Amino acid sequence: MTSTGSGRRVASGSPGFLKRSQPRYGEKAVKVLLVAASLVSVLTTVGIVIALIPPAAEFFGEVSFGDFITGTDWSPLFKPAHFGVLPLVTGTLMVTLIALLVAVPLGLGAAVYLSEYARPRVRAFFKPILEVLAGIPTVVYGFFALQALTPLLQDIWPGGEGPQVFNALSAGFVMGIMIIPTIASLSEDAMNAVPNDLRDGAFALGSSRMQVATRVVFPAALSGIVAAIVLGVSRAIGETMIVAIAAGGRPNLSFDPLEGMQTMTAFIAAAGIGDLPTGTIGYQTIFAVGSLLFVMTLVMNLVSIRLVRRYRQVYE
Amino acid sequence: MTTEPSRRIQRLRRRALRSAQTAAVASPSNAPDAPDAPDSTTAPRVSFRDAPPLTTPVFEVGSLSVFYGDHEAVRDVNMTIGDRQITAMIGPSGCGKSTMIRCFNRMNDLIPTARVVGKIRYHGENLYGKEVDPIEVRRRIGMVFQKPNPFPKSIYDNIAYGPRVGSFKGNLDDLVEETLTRAALWDEVKDKLKTSALALSGGQQQRLCIARTIAVKPEVILMDEPCSALDPIATAKIEDLMEHLAQEFTIVVVTHNMQQAARVSHRTAFFTSDVDVKGERHGRLVEYDETERIFSNPSDQRTEDYISGRFG
Repeated sequence: MTSTGSGRRVASGSPGFLKRSQPRYGEKAVKVLLVAASLVSVLTTVGIVIALIPPAAEFFGEVSFGDFITGTDWSPLFKPAHFGVLPLVTGTLMVTLIALLVAVPLGLGAAVYLSEYARPRVRAFFKPILEVLAGIPTVVYGFFALQALTPLLQDIWPGGEGPQVFNALSAGFVMGIMIIPTIASLSEDAMNAVPNDLRDGAFALGSSRMQVATRVVFPAALSGIVAAIVLGVSRAIGETMIVAIAAGGRPNLSFDPLEGMQTMTAFIAAAGIGDLPTGTIGYQTIFAVGSLLFVMTLVMNLVSIRLVRRYRQVYE
Repeated sequence: MTTEPSRRIQRLRRRALRSAQTAAVASPSNAPDAPDAPDSTTAPRVSFRDAPPLTTPVFEVGSLSVFYGDHEAVRDVNMTIGDRQITAMIGPSGCGKSTMIRCFNRMNDLIPTARVVGKIRYHGENLYGKEVDPIEVRRRIGMVFQKPNPFPKSIYDNIAYGPRVGSFKGNLDDLVEETLTRAALWDEVKDKLKTSALALSGGQQQRLCIARTIAVKPEVILMDEPCSALDPIATAKIEDLMEHLAQEFTIVVVTHNMQQAARVSHRTAFFTSDVDVKGERHGRLVEYDETERIFSNPSDQRTEDYISGRFG
């Protein structure tokens, strides 16, 4: 085969001549490194769960789970202490919901535009810019909400009191802006991966671009789109800085987005940087809330995987 | 020169025709015409189809060129395509026949760099006129592609897609049944209308795509190498279907398969690519005539060479 032509390899005839001629240590080392790399994330997750369990278990030894999950008063660090987590949960859900109301329509709109309407050059220009938005530190977003958006809302609010200095609306809105790139970029990838054959087929039947996007590309890309939204929701639920700065630190069981409210993450951050002695019930609340947060995200992921399996259209 | 082809060419042409005949006999579509036990000494003659007259043209193409950016992919095509007959476009790879067929329903509009110069008239109307809506065009001029491309939806929804986007008013169930029956697919799929179209075989998928196309009741069906991804039996079924549909529809088919063109088409256009003085390749229409004439007595040497298997 080679041009230098030392000719064919000839069997030497001695037994075991098919053994490897040189040991390949590099191969093994690389494999070990790669396995280690993939194990880091798995082990970290497992480690976090394990670390969460004992303090959380101790907490639930003192406070009944029912009181925790249904109680409407959250004041674990004051006396008398109340351990009703509902205000934190509603705060989290309220801010996340507002963020999704902003991010899903805008993110999917951007994705459909980039994937189905934009010319290649426009896409090449827009997509990197969109992704830069994902790299802005969340503390910047938080101050933007507190210092720019809230005053603006207070100025232009038609009638009534308008938003408080700390409010869920600004925090949720800015958080929505923050997760637009996640949703837009990943959804765009999913739509872009839909084969052009399907678009051609739809156009040839007299579809408009919008019909191709909504009736053919969108359903075919559904699993990727839902994954993008789930990732966005996970980021929103887990986001701490924006809510700590812009939504305030007062647990507040309210469904009025103009009021300040504390989220689960904001509580963990506030309590975590305080000087709570380990082993106290106050310290353990951090782990109880953390476990609840973990379970909420997990359930959401499982539900969305189910939903996707049910509704997606597999195109290959 | 073209009137006196060399003996060698004649021999080659005879060989090509013979293989076309054998294939025609082997395919179930023509089986009833063939003798049950063909005598090896008297090979069956290929029966070309009589071309209907071109008195009611559907498309009139005049000095048509197609550019991709600066490159002229197809240069100066003139041809007239007749009503309710099958027109085949044959030629070697890269001769612009697929580019050409995509002009007829403005699919080239979807390629940002593509530009069409010249005239295509559809029943006298300029297809590329300013006021023409490409969506309206594609509802009248449907298209079937090389690779079967059913939507990842149920069989029913595939057929119903076109009528739905065209805001069809009427009974969709009836339309689906009627369409699948016309496409000779109803008996095979009637019990699994709600299952995914992707569970069908390749040949069934392609017939579903043809059915999907006729569900919007077009006048013309364009087919861009509809059988190139299919096995011979599936191909024969599609050819049967084409013959059947040609009673109602005008069909234009691009094919790599000369025997297919010989078997199903009434008229054949032979394209090839020319290299001009600047060294650039352009697809050209060499010869367009009744299929029988193209395959038995072409007037251009290049056609002769192609159908006799000298190149392509």
